[in-house]
Amino acid sequence: MSESFFGLFVVGFPVLLLLFAWGVGAWMATRHEADLAEREPTVAHLQVHNTGRLEDAVAGPNPPAMVASEVTLGVDHFRGFLGQWKNLFGGQVRSYQMVLDRARREVMMRLLEQAHSLGYNAVANVRIDFVDISGSALTRRKAADVSVLATATAYYVPPKT
Amino acid sequence: MIVVNTESIPGYQVTHCLGIVQGNVVRAKHIGRDIAASLKNIVGGELRGYTELLTDARRTAMERMLAQARELQADAVVNVRFSTSAITQGAAELYVYGTAVKVEPVIQATRVS
Repeated sequence: MSESFFGLFVVGFPVLLLLFAWGVGAWMATRHEADLAEREPTVAHLQVHNTGRLEDAVAGPNPPAMVASEVTLGVDHFRGFLGQWKNLFGGQVRSYQMVLDRARREVMMRLLEQAHSLGYNAVANVRIDFVDISGSALTRRKAADVSVLATATAYYVPPKT
Repeated sequence: MIVVNTESIPGYQVTHCLGIVQGNVVRAKHIGRDIAASLKNIVGGELRGYTELLTDARRTAMERMLAQARELQADAVVNVRFSTSAITQGAAELYVYGTAVKVEPVIQATRVS
């Protein structure tokens, strides 16, 4: 009796963990997306370029300044598990794509919020880089996490009329 | 000190180029953060410990670069770039470099690109 209970626990615990990760992970992703959608209008008036030239720059109260931001997002166990399965057959790993997408949106949002809070109304030369903080992301066995670092130069443009 | 990641600064003119300045920092994650992050990683979402680690590393590297620039008596650092390399499992280098320059404000800097 106790042996079968133990067996049930050994099989059941990872399954429960996956179910938990699936539920909470999906909820957290939805919440993050809602949060991003809510914050986006506050910085929607900023001009964003990724060219090295500062288009339409005008002199403002402060000289242009560099802004930088970073974020680390984890891939939840359920989606990590799906991703590993997907690796057997190849093809698009949509669950990872969505995490990368959210990471990029979040890091851009932080960059723009920073420029906005410093009083600038445009950013140029936006660069987004992936950073491997955990070391050897390709050989790691555990669940993936992704770090993104963004830099840009904030400056002034004439206000929109 | 003006710091930008573009080649020029609107409203300013580069008068002297003082050469490359750089700053680097190698940070290791500590085990507490690792444990917290691996628990958080079950459900995904932001791993705040790692984000803070990166922010600290970036600030430190930047400060070191600016200290070099100040030593050269630069007014500005242009074309700043970040680069990272993973040295071993659990330690990463953040390297920041740029060109230290002396600048002068351009008169009538109303519309410069």
